[in-house]
Amino acid sequence: MGSVTLRRLSKIFDGGIQALHDLDLDVRDGELLVLLGPSGSGKTTILRCIAGLEEPTGGDVLIGDRVVTRDPPRARDVAMVFQTPTLYPHLSVRENIAFPLEMRGTADAQVTRRVVEAATRLGIPSVLDRMPDTLSEGERQRAALARAIVRGPQAFLFDEPLSRLDAKLRIELRAELLALHRALGATMIYVTHDQTEAMTMGGGAGQRIAVLHEGRVRQVGTPEEIYQRPADVHVARFVGTPGMNVLQGRGRGTGEEGPVIEAGSLVIPVELSTYEGELQVGIRPEFVGLCAVDKGVGNVDVLVVEPLGSETLVHLNTGGQALVARLPGFADVRVGTRVGVKVDRRRLYLFDAAGVPLA
Amino acid sequence: MSSRGWAAAVTVAATIAATLALAVVFAAERHYERAFAFRIAGTTAAYVAAVTPPPQPPPPPPPAPRVVRGRRRPSIRPAPPPPPPQLAPLSPAARSYDLPSLLTQARALQTLPGWSSDVEVYFGTAPLVDATAPPLSPDDLSYLAAAGLWRAGRALVPLKDRDGQEVVGAVAVRPHPMPHGPLPGGIGFAFPAAILAIGAAAATAFRERSLRPGARGGYVGAALFLALATYLDVRAAARQSTDRWLVDTRRLLQEAATRLPPPRVRVAISDLAAIVRDGEVVAGEPADSPPRRVRVDGERRAVVAVLIGSGRWVELRSVPAELEAPRWLILLLPSALLGPLAILLLRWAERTPARLRRETAIAWGFLGPAGLHLTVFTIGPALYAIYLATAANLPALARDPVTWNALRNTALYALYVPVSVALALVAALAVFRYRQHWGGRLLSTAFVLPYVASAVVIALVWQAIYRWGSFGLGRTDWLSNTGSALPALMLISVWAHMGGQMVVFLAGLQAIPPAYLDAARVDGAGAWRGFWRVTLPLLRPVTWFVVLTGVLGALQMFTLVFVLTQGGPSPSHATGVMVHRIYQTAFGQQAFALASALAVVFAVMLLILRWPQLAILRRQVRNA
Repeated sequence: MGSVTLRRLSKIFDGGIQALHDLDLDVRDGELLVLLGPSGSGKTTILRCIAGLEEPTGGDVLIGDRVVTRDPPRARDVAMVFQTPTLYPHLSVRENIAFPLEMRGTADAQVTRRVVEAATRLGIPSVLDRMPDTLSEGERQRAALARAIVRGPQAFLFDEPLSRLDAKLRIELRAELLALHRALGATMIYVTHDQTEAMTMGGGAGQRIAVLHEGRVRQVGTPEEIYQRPADVHVARFVGTPGMNVLQGRGRGTGEEGPVIEAGSLVIPVELSTYEGELQVGIRPEFVGLCAVDKGVGNVDVLVVEPLGSETLVHLNTGGQALVARLPGFADVRVGTRVGVKVDRRRLYLFDAAGVPLA
Repeated sequence: MSSRGWAAAVTVAATIAATLALAVVFAAERHYERAFAFRIAGTTAAYVAAVTPPPQPPPPPPPAPRVVRGRRRPSIRPAPPPPPPQLAPLSPAARSYDLPSLLTQARALQTLPGWSSDVEVYFGTAPLVDATAPPLSPDDLSYLAAAGLWRAGRALVPLKDRDGQEVVGAVAVRPHPMPHGPLPGGIGFAFPAAILAIGAAAATAFRERSLRPGARGGYVGAALFLALATYLDVRAAARQSTDRWLVDTRRLLQEAATRLPPPRVRVAISDLAAIVRDGEVVAGEPADSPPRRVRVDGERRAVVAVLIGSGRWVELRSVPAELEAPRWLILLLPSALLGPLAILLLRWAERTPARLRRETAIAWGFLGPAGLHLTVFTIGPALYAIYLATAANLPALARDPVTWNALRNTALYALYVPVSVALALVAALAVFRYRQHWGGRLLSTAFVLPYVASAVVIALVWQAIYRWGSFGLGRTDWLSNTGSALPALMLISVWAHMGGQMVVFLAGLQAIPPAYLDAARVDGAGAWRGFWRVTLPLLRPVTWFVVLTGVLGALQMFTLVFVLTQGGPSPSHATGVMVHRIYQTAFGQQAFALASALAVVFAVMLLILRWPQLAILRRQVRNA
């Protein structure tokens, strides 16, 4: 097992697109780090640089204490599971799992034993002699996982391995992956764009989430940290379902009723007295409430109502900016009506115009 | 369509079909009557030429009475007269006929008892039998030198001089109309059958609105009966044409037997045989008067016994025309079955919604040209080749060493395919690796160029290379050396086909998801092992496809051999491949039956080889 360290890693593709900007990241030995970010944020590029499938334009990759930046993939001793199940279609499941061992010249007897071990660990010993195209999606991804764990590498790289599975199977396999992490105590880097998945995978002991945006790591922390104390406006918007409302606004320290923030059609009284000028105000949907017209901090138009059963999402228009309210149960809101908005003042997040938290 | 309208349409369709069938019968009867007329006219011309003496020479030498037949087989005559002392070729005038004798002979023809035709003999353009009849036009006479003519109900054939060289006149035959049909009044089977078929159609159509399958079957039966009846009529007409010729020729032979020899000399059979050019005359037995059908050496023959002297019988034989009557079925069956087809179509149209009808019509409109093309240029010739092949002597074909040599050469030649496939794969890998680079594109263009060039151009370029270059190996020409000719062709083929195969491999490489290769690299495979363990197995369907299409193409190779070696260097046939052998047999030796048999056998072999290819393609389609 080993740690994985990225030092000032940058990658510029042939077309001139810069995927990574001087990125630093420390994955501790035995840690499960979830790389969370929207598509195009550079998650997969990071994994491919660690695996050796892409050569970084600048910076270094360290596995353990060794600099492996220029090493070919086979010299790095990492295993990778891809988004599409990459079982070789011409090999049986057994031969697929044995493939990495065979490539390293492991003795036959040991290969047989370890293949069965890995398959048993993932609950697929019965399909060892089948061909990949006869397996179900779940069995296929399990077989791919077995192929990854079979040789006990320094680190595991997961590139959205569950994103193509249906929801039920995804939850099941997620739990198994976590159990696998606990059992193996291995260093794992798990890439996903699904923040629910990130929260689940990054929630346990020795687990963290790194949020990426446009080729930069914005925040590394526990789920609670990145949810409660987002490092910038991008993290705030990306984390949560739905993500935080971020309104462009202007702070006024000299309002008649004390300092306020004007954002769209809202005038929100705040305790922050010292700030004047452009800023961004964030509020999570669950802390937005609706009330009668003129009773709240402003009036808004109801655009869309999404009753989800346990909660109702109400999409609002506040002076041209979108605001989502998350109300418990079924809410009696009509599309096209005008309602007042209440906000929990203690739950406001203030960012400056560049997206950095104030105070 | 209303029920009555539908029934009327059915009746019309049946009537059209029956009329068509009758028209075919009429055409066939005319065809056979004319065939008879031309045939008897030709025989008559030969008869006239045989029995008419040459003109009397001006200074009368002692008359040579039997000069007439001197030009034909004088050696086998039983009592050879002294051959006419002709040291120089006869002058045209001397080769012609003695006009008074010709007049006599021609007039005698008209009085032949039992003859079924009117005959006229022209000397030059002047009619001899009926002197007041209009003369022949000079145009017709000159045209006759090339072929027979049909003029105003008469068959005109040339009357040549006694050496058979120049046209000096013509013989015209107008056959008397004869009843063809076997039924009373000369009616054939076809007419009643046509009435019956129309009646059956009308009855079934008017009786009930919708034709039950049973009733439909009844009408189809009536149509088939019509086809059979028309065929019987055509066959009868063909038979009659042969019989008429036999009977009329018998009269001519008997006449010739009395006129040919000088008095008190028995006529030779060979002299009679000379008159009957499209039949045989052999010594025979007494027999009944009507023509008979017998088997002679396994072949069907129409024969008639001819009494040519007291107690002397010969047998006149001919190939019976009805032997080839079945080909009329090609016209008769479709026209008779047109009725049922039209009825089924009408029924379908009545039942089917307009939209589907229109769509079906459009679909057939699209399919039609391709179907017609396929039928005329593929299915038709293939069936014809199979038909031709039935006449071939297959055991002899199997014993012919040249055939086996061709097979062997073909198989040897196909061995270039693995080489070109391997090279194509290497080239594809190189081009794929550097596909973003200008070098890769240049490489790919260089490989593909020969693939898009014409095979003939490639052949000529390489011919020049082999002649002048010889790659400095000291040989003058690889193509004319028995040992190197086939390898030389294989080398050209490798060069020519590599590009195409490379393109297929490139497509195959592009179709491999890069994730497989990424996974293999992470799993520890280097470039070499990644290729053997992952890329190559994933390319397997493509490789099979390339190899099989390559082999099938190689087995059918023709152009290179045709352009460069003609199967040579002879006599070893070192490059005689199968298709070239078929071509040679058909167009070189004019042995079409043999060539067709070879082609059919070879096609079956290719079909068997094709099986795995189809299986692979099916699998690919399933996986896609």
